[in-house]
Amino acid sequence: MDLKVFTQSVLQHQSRLFRVAKLFLKNTEEAEDTVQEIFLRLWDKRQQLGAYNSVEALAVQMTKNLCLDKLKSHAYNYTSTGLETVEVSARTYTPHEQTELADSNELLKKIIDDLPEIQKTILHLRDVEEYSFEEIEQITGQTINNIRVILSRARKSVRDSYQKTNNYVSGN
Amino acid sequence: MYQEIEKLLEKYYEGETTLQEEKYIKEFFGKAEVPTHLQHHIAEFAYYRLAARETPSKNLNEELLRRIEKKGRIIQFRAVSLRIAAGVALVLGSFAAGYYYNNKGGEIAIIENPTANSMKETLQFKQVNLTSASERIDAVNQSLKLEELDKELIQLLINTLNFDDNVNVRLAACQALARFESEPAVREGLMQSLKIQTDPNIQITLIELLVMMKEKRASETLEQISKDKAVMDVVRMKAEEGAATLITL
Repeated sequence: MDLKVFTQSVLQHQSRLFRVAKLFLKNTEEAEDTVQEIFLRLWDKRQQLGAYNSVEALAVQMTKNLCLDKLKSHAYNYTSTGLETVEVSARTYTPHEQTELADSNELLKKIIDDLPEIQKTILHLRDVEEYSFEEIEQITGQTINNIRVILSRARKSVRDSYQKTNNYVSGN
Repeated sequence: MYQEIEKLLEKYYEGETTLQEEKYIKEFFGKAEVPTHLQHHIAEFAYYRLAARETPSKNLNEELLRRIEKKGRIIQFRAVSLRIAAGVALVLGSFAAGYYYNNKGGEIAIIENPTANSMKETLQFKQVNLTSASERIDAVNQSLKLEELDKELIQLLINTLNFDDNVNVRLAACQALARFESEPAVREGLMQSLKIQTDPNIQITLIELLVMMKEKRASETLEQISKDKAVMDVVRMKAEEGAATLITL
């Protein structure tokens, strides 16, 4: 695989990979670094890429895994410096947060961010990236039936959290 | 009137809509006239559409290509530098061997004859640019007239075999050396040469010679060549065959 083919089959997915990375890392710069790292790794194994059904699925999977690895080492850093944050899945927002989240897009971002990792991943792959269930199966390794169940939970959770917070804010 | 979209929404939250249906839902909520009782869904679908438009900063692609190209160059350079290193090692090795043999035979007076002298002159490394290929082949072939070669000439022929620009001259040197198979320096030189030759003609000639000489030490090199994907198939087959012959000797 030469540089030209590589550019066509791999580099064209950079926006998608960037969004997946940012979903986990939240930081634009770190997400861009991660995508570059993934591309360099793929470039190193470019001779073997022909053996994969979908290089795109492989790239998304690698990106997700690398992000989770990075988060793990971050969490370690936070713990060791005492800056540990406790995650609560069905959380309620403080009045201060609610004013911050008055913008519905910010609120939705926060809600999605608070979803369990697998729900967050599948919701993003389906509703933002518009991948088919088969592609999501390849990326996450979950069966299609499981994907539907997880997706349903994630969508309901987003709807309920958003409406709960939004009603509360507008009711004030 | 809105039964269809309500039904689709229900399917959507159960994870049962198709990609097309989801597209339709997103479009529906992107329009201005969403009925009041469904308006609380607008934000969700607007968010997904917005999120899908986020892209990295423009320089990401360029930066990537730059890094990949840089990487490619380093790898290439490494390969070239390896080749140069192998060449240098060979030259140094040859000189060391030549020096060793010279000292050994130092006490015996060597009677130089005119044939050998003219040969030496033509085949001098610095002469390569001044002589034609046919002149150098001639010089190499003059060695056929000699009953035996002194160490200097052997070294000269080995150098010609390894470094002459012209394939035919290298081939002639190879055949000239074959006559002196009993000389340890010749055997050593041919074996070293096999490791660095890339021309299939010469590779095959060398393999044949080494097998003919029953040079068992060459079997390892032959096996390596037979596994080297960069080498032409014919040569690899020949090397495999040669290795097999040498091992069973």
